Amino acid sequence: MLAIIIKSIIIGVLGGAAVAAGAARMFHAPKVQSMGAFRTLGELNACKGDPVTHISFGLGFLFNAAASVVAAGALTQDVFHRVIPNWAAGALLFRNKNVEETLHDPAKMIFAGAIVGAVVVTFLNTVASVIPESMSFIAQQILGPAANLMINPVMPIIFWLAALDAGKTTGIWGTILGGLAHMIMGNAVPGIVLGILIGQSIEEYGYTRSTQVMITIVTILFITIAYFRGFFEKVLELF
Amino acid sequence: MDTVKVQGNSWEDKLRYILLQAYSFPILVGLACAAIFAGTHMYVTHNVGAFNEIFVVRMLDEGLSGGDYAAAAGFAAGFLIARVLEGPLVGVLDIGGALMTGVGIGIPAMMLASGITLPIDNFIVSLITGAGIGLIIGAVIIIIRKFMPQGMSSAGTNIMMGAGNATGQYLGPLIIISAISFSIPAGVGAFVGAAIFYKFDKPVAGGAILGAMVLASFFAV
Repeated sequence: MLAIIIKSIIIGVLGGAAVAAGAARMFHAPKVQSMGAFRTLGELNACKGDPVTHISFGLGFLFNAAASVVAAGALTQDVFHRVIPNWAAGALLFRNKNVEETLHDPAKMIFAGAIVGAVVVTFLNTVASVIPESMSFIAQQILGPAANLMINPVMPIIFWLAALDAGKTTGIWGTILGGLAHMIMGNAVPGIVLGILIGQSIEEYGYTRSTQVMITIVTILFITIAYFRGFFEKVLELF
Repeated sequence: MDTVKVQGNSWEDKLRYILLQAYSFPILVGLACAAIFAGTHMYVTHNVGAFNEIFVVRMLDEGLSGGDYAAAAGFAAGFLIARVLEGPLVGVLDIGGALMTGVGIGIPAMMLASGITLPIDNFIVSLITGAGIGLIIGAVIIIIRKFMPQGMSSAGTNIMMGAGNATGQYLGPLIIISAISFSIPAGVGAFVGAAIFYKFDKPVAGGAILGAMVLASFFAV
């Protein structure tokens, strides 16, 4: 138990600091390379610099993360995407309502994020050990099949339909790379993601040098993965 | 590219200046990856603490229990590369796909599949490994940014964002269906819990799993 607490604090401080500073950098993108997610940026803006909104938004996802960690030991991506950035912002905004001096300032967010990260990660990792083992066994029995269905076929279908809805070029690239990925990597999603990326770039800018570079990289990537996963041997066996 | 100026002389102004430079980006990615990689160490040794969704962590589980890491490695490594290519184009590196899934699940799965266990079994080594991987990813992104022409497509990101959000919505109903095939009390708990959470604007998946756990352990079959 003590080991879990100490490790959680270290992980929370490092991750919280990095994610909060990365979120602050998002407000300076694309001039500055940042990290986070577009949905995080949108949600941070939607809270309009109101500390109570930021805190309660994060709290909703903390409940979900707690349920997930109790059930399966998984913290969910929302801890880094939503809870830490919003709580770090909320904590700073209580003292100063000006978002430019708080939420947009990586020098302040990095410390707020470190503290929030340590608290949240430690809380979540210890709350799981309070739950009786029989209960988490039930959860795993239920979540296992649900998770397997999610990975295949639900996620590939969602991404596939999104690619098909985005126009002919994106739909064709998504379908071909998705099909290849499902054969070679065992799941279509990464292929469809690459297909959407390539298809959208072509639709907007045509076959420029940078789209050609991207297609080349993706081709090499597929060939390399196929080689290491013994795909070519399987194809040769057909003849 | 990065044209943020120092405005003042206090230590905080200097820190702000440093944190907005291109060279500090790999350091931040390194810190985040150290935490995420160590989170996977936590999950493997203490069964708690992986920074990802249940269904992604489940793929790593398959490898840990059965020795087949193909699903986790293929899925997560594909995500990592797609997001690292996308990051410099749009100015935002997706920490979910690139770091939490790619570095947190994909790279450990590839290491375990090739018999490398030390970076995952040892906490300190896991922090150092994660930091190293993050520094490399961050540096690669900054280098791509220097050479890629500006103004590439960001529309692709919107499509993937929509698909990503839709994914989350499917989990609730899937858990309810799975709970119903587990047992009647679990099934009832799942849909009642989901309905209650929905009424109070909380994620349906959370209510479903909590309700199923409570009723299933109350009326053990």
